Amino acid sequence: MTNRVDPTALAVFHSLFASVAEEMGVTLGRTAHSPNITERRDYSCAVFDAEARLVAQAAHIPVHLGAMPVSVQAALPLAPFAPGDIVILNDPYLGGTHLPDITLVSPVFERAGRRALVGYLVSRAHHADVGGMTPGSMPLATELHQEGVIIPPLRLLRRGRRNEEALALLLRNVRTPDERRGDLDAQLAAHRTGEERLLDLVTRYGRRQVVTRMRELQDYAERLTRAAINEIPNGVYDFEDSLDDDGDSANPVPIRVRLTVRNRTLHFDFTGSSPQRPTSVNAVAAVTSSAVYYVVRCLLPGDAPTNDGCLRPVSLTLPEASVVNASSPHAVSAGNVETSQRIVDVVLGALAKALPGRIPAASAGTMNNVTIGGFDAARGRPFAYYETLAGGAGAGPSGDGLSAVHTHMTNTMNTPVEALEMAYPFRVRRYSIRNRGRRRTGGDGRFRGGAGVVREYEFLTPAQVTIVGERRKRGPWSLRGGRPGTRGRDSLTDASGRRKKLPSKGQFTVAAGARLGIETPGGGGWGRPSRAKPRQMRKRVKT
Amino acid sequence: MASVLGVDVGGTFTDFLLWEDGRLFVYKRPSTPDDPSRAVLAGLAEAGADGAAWRPDEVVHGSTVATNAVLERKGARTALITTEGFRDVLEIGRQTRPNLYDLEPRRSPPLVPQRLRLEARERLDYRGEVLQRLSKREAVKLVRSLRDRGVKSLAVCFLFSFLNPRHEELVRDAARSAGLACSASIDVLPEHREYERTSTTVLNAYIGPVVERYLTRLAEGLGHAGVRNLRIMQSNGGSASAAAAGATAVRTVLSGPAGGVAGAFASAKSAGVKRAITLDMGGTSTDVCLLDGAVPFTSESSIDGLPLRIPTVDVHTVGAGGGSIATIDAGGALRVGPESAGADPGPACYGAGDLPTVTDANLLLGRLRPDAFLGGRMTLSPSAARRALRPVARNFSGDLEGAAASVLEVANANMARALRVISVERGHDPRRFTLVAFGGAGPLHACDLAEALAIPRVLVPPFPGVLSAFGMAASPITTDHVQALLAPVEDDGAFTHRLGRAFAMLESQARRSLRSQFGRSSAPVMRRSLDLRYAGQSYELTIPVSARADGCDPARFLAAFHRAHGRRYGHADAERAVEVVAVRLRAELPGAPVRLARLARGDGDPRLGRVGREAVWFGGRPRATWLYDRSRLRGGDRLRGPALVLQLDATTAIPPGWQGRVDDTGNLLLECEG
Repeated sequence: MTNRVDPTALAVFHSLFASVAEEMGVTLGRTAHSPNITERRDYSCAVFDAEARLVAQAAHIPVHLGAMPVSVQAALPLAPFAPGDIVILNDPYLGGTHLPDITLVSPVFERAGRRALVGYLVSRAHHADVGGMTPGSMPLATELHQEGVIIPPLRLLRRGRRNEEALALLLRNVRTPDERRGDLDAQLAAHRTGEERLLDLVTRYGRRQVVTRMRELQDYAERLTRAAINEIPNGVYDFEDSLDDDGDSANPVPIRVRLTVRNRTLHFDFTGSSPQRPTSVNAVAAVTSSAVYYVVRCLLPGDAPTNDGCLRPVSLTLPEASVVNASSPHAVSAGNVETSQRIVDVVLGALAKALPGRIPAASAGTMNNVTIGGFDAARGRPFAYYETLAGGAGAGPSGDGLSAVHTHMTNTMNTPVEALEMAYPFRVRRYSIRNRGRRRTGGDGRFRGGAGVVREYEFLTPAQVTIVGERRKRGPWSLRGGRPGTRGRDSLTDASGRRKKLPSKGQFTVAAGARLGIETPGGGGWGRPSRAKPRQMRKRVKT
Repeated sequence: MASVLGVDVGGTFTDFLLWEDGRLFVYKRPSTPDDPSRAVLAGLAEAGADGAAWRPDEVVHGSTVATNAVLERKGARTALITTEGFRDVLEIGRQTRPNLYDLEPRRSPPLVPQRLRLEARERLDYRGEVLQRLSKREAVKLVRSLRDRGVKSLAVCFLFSFLNPRHEELVRDAARSAGLACSASIDVLPEHREYERTSTTVLNAYIGPVVERYLTRLAEGLGHAGVRNLRIMQSNGGSASAAAAGATAVRTVLSGPAGGVAGAFASAKSAGVKRAITLDMGGTSTDVCLLDGAVPFTSESSIDGLPLRIPTVDVHTVGAGGGSIATIDAGGALRVGPESAGADPGPACYGAGDLPTVTDANLLLGRLRPDAFLGGRMTLSPSAARRALRPVARNFSGDLEGAAASVLEVANANMARALRVISVERGHDPRRFTLVAFGGAGPLHACDLAEALAIPRVLVPPFPGVLSAFGMAASPITTDHVQALLAPVEDDGAFTHRLGRAFAMLESQARRSLRSQFGRSSAPVMRRSLDLRYAGQSYELTIPVSARADGCDPARFLAAFHRAHGRRYGHADAERAVEVVAVRLRAELPGAPVRLARLARGDGDPRLGRVGREAVWFGGRPRATWLYDRSRLRGGDRLRGPALVLQLDATTAIPPGWQGRVDDTGNLLLECEG
């Protein structure tokens, strides 16, 4: 076997580029201002080459994976760039995903010599409030403009100087401007760190070698991806699932995929998925790509690079004006967090047909979004809180699903209850795994799905609340004869003890003393349950 | 003169370093994993037969007992009592999965199963005020029900208990009167963040009885051997009495790497080196640590995925060691580690397996000698190494040496990345540091790594393979105390006063602790520090504070905080509000005055140390290389690369372009020429 690539350089540079992205993430997470970034770590950082192709992405949040390349593309029309330029954007129809995710894109130029372009750095962070109808900016809106301030790609920094006027306009349109400024400063710091690290590499190895290695790593990832696809039998595999509803009407929102595996390529055709809806469950194309790329990346070895090469053998057909490819000015905030999860479910469902015995049952399939905002009289300031709650993981061929864990498109941490109560005018009364007595919320099976969680908030002041959840009507599906996971449910209990069931998606005001209960879905079971099952069978089989 | 013995129990070997009458003796014997104290006592008897007396006044001991109890889940049957509604915090953790792209994510299971996690009807608010009072009756009832279920150890962790200890005290008292061992979070870790605090407290409860039992047995055995005093190495690089170590066993969990760093720190000081980066390369992993005049600490460590928030020597670990396995993956890249051949089957050249490893690559290139391994007690097989590396070499057009050199290059790149993380990425310039290399394989890779990071000097201590035992023998006595404060920094007298009071309280705690451990009256050195962050941040920087009267003046420590933040993260904002999160105190008493002995002085010519001349690969070709026996080198000897320095349990590679000097205490100092 002859091989023109340098096996040593691949390993060395894989780790070098990855550490640039990771180091950006460390700076962002440690210096940001809001719990949403510092505690929950809802952000991603990535390195792109001079042709705007992904070189390395730190393993943070999968929903950002396929969307970051689109951000760089959206920034390019502002070229030519100068050293010190940094572009900001959040427009879902121009490089963004949903408005709270604010993205910065910065070109990196060599410091000496021709000052040639080395590549681009990208950071994306979920900001806890970007204005719009409700605090937390995750409303059940009918058009994008209600969801918050829209930032088309523009220079936040020009040759290192901050665009104060643009920043003033932005901050005037959000509820918690000091927090936004602090978080944006942290993003800027991350870009400075990334630029230093990338230029260190240029100094040590020379620009030419750095650029060559970027390309080689992409080719390498492509080879790994094709090798993984090679394990999947050629064929056509269909799967359909649906969202409970769009938050407006009670009708389900179907999502359909046809997977074609041929000659070490994958094609995903979403024709037949629901037309876009008048609420925010619409996913922009970038979100749908992220969901597909996430699943493809899961098929690769754990330490494989995540870059443009992984995407090359994969193609998509996305019907226009559909929930998997929304058009402006449709609202999109739930598309990013909920529809993305269902897209993963259908892609995995199709793969399960191609690779029976290798794919796990459906996980919770929702991020269980809770936003709470209002005025905190005790602390004398407005507040905006956003958090996503874990559910159960689907069981799979190697064992039971994990309980109380974020699955698929997100991996954000919870905010410690002690940190929450110090910062916001509410209390958490219960935070536990959702199994009551012998009743489990993970689907039964040869291997059992993981359980969801229960969280109960008690409000100390009147507040505006938005919840966006899924799998409240039908539990996550099982595989190979297992049982589905238990669906989620939510309720509001007023101060007098009257309890009312809540819809999967809704926004409402609550009085002081009210309690909000969120119960998240369990994961689907895997394999036929056997009655007399020896205990150790449920343990993980070493693979 | 006093004598002290450092004993470091590892998975394979137990290392002994005796300091007596200003002289050092070392001994190494196989460990006895079923009961590590057997190897300790046996070693003491065996070594004693060797001529020297081996009757130390004091033993300082580090073991993997606590670590293994966690890794093998062999701790005590433990229960947990939490605030009502929060018993599952221990299992939910931070709700994340460790590997992002894993269709079937796994986490390590909690140490207390759900049925042994009980809730107490009690609740405090974020100011520590009681929302629901815990009745003594309920505390007693809960404790009894657990005792009746065969629980041996109890952990208690209530929300916001660090602001008001009353409820945890009630449970702790109830447990004591019921004769049940109890770890309360207010004693183990009075800091905010309920999951991390619960996890640390549960770890303490889980391993406490195991560690206590072990230490009692060991102390008895040592007593029979005439040793009266036993100190235990802790994760913070200091030691504590056996009784104190048993009571907060969680502080010993990461003591292994701490001993190595303590030893490296002591060696560096003896060689007059102030700024050092340590490189401890073993069979499966490598620990690195940056010493900028002091041993650095972190409180963000974990074991088996379970967070452990107690002050720990801040080592960064990377999965690259002598046993790391080399493979060519599906995309054609050469990968080395993190999978390791471990001790069983071990590298191919050990003769039991056929996995190509870093050790095999070193052997194939002549950098390890087949007959000089472990002082000749073990012979390595070059033909087995060649056989194992052949599949890898196919991607290098069959060039075995080229493949082996590449395996080393990739392993070095992994270690270099770790070194970069703790130096460059934290704002330190490696050119101002010395690399202190130890562990079985550290001295073999040190010069190549130093070159990769532009570190100008390498220091190889006299006993690189037993440096942990040296560090233990020399370790100071320390006790750490912390109190959560959570308050904005205010520039007024009241705030300064409040800080002063908090420190004074911790200092009296520390004095009490030292007095009860050692009954000594000598005044400890008090090291104060504050955990500070910008308002809104979730991560703190620990900033030392002067113990002088004006130390608590915000003007003084804020400037240091802004500077540290700028160095670590590239920006600082002197205008932004700063919060104190916790007040920390470390009290320290000096340990035994262990020093390296002086070496006989030679004339600078190392010829007497030569034991052979062989072809060794450096820089892509075989070079005629002198082999030296380290025990025959004398103070002042100068060596020139290429050279190999062989000793009992380590080999030092000196590449061409490097030269070495043996100092008066036997340290080998290597420098790059030009």
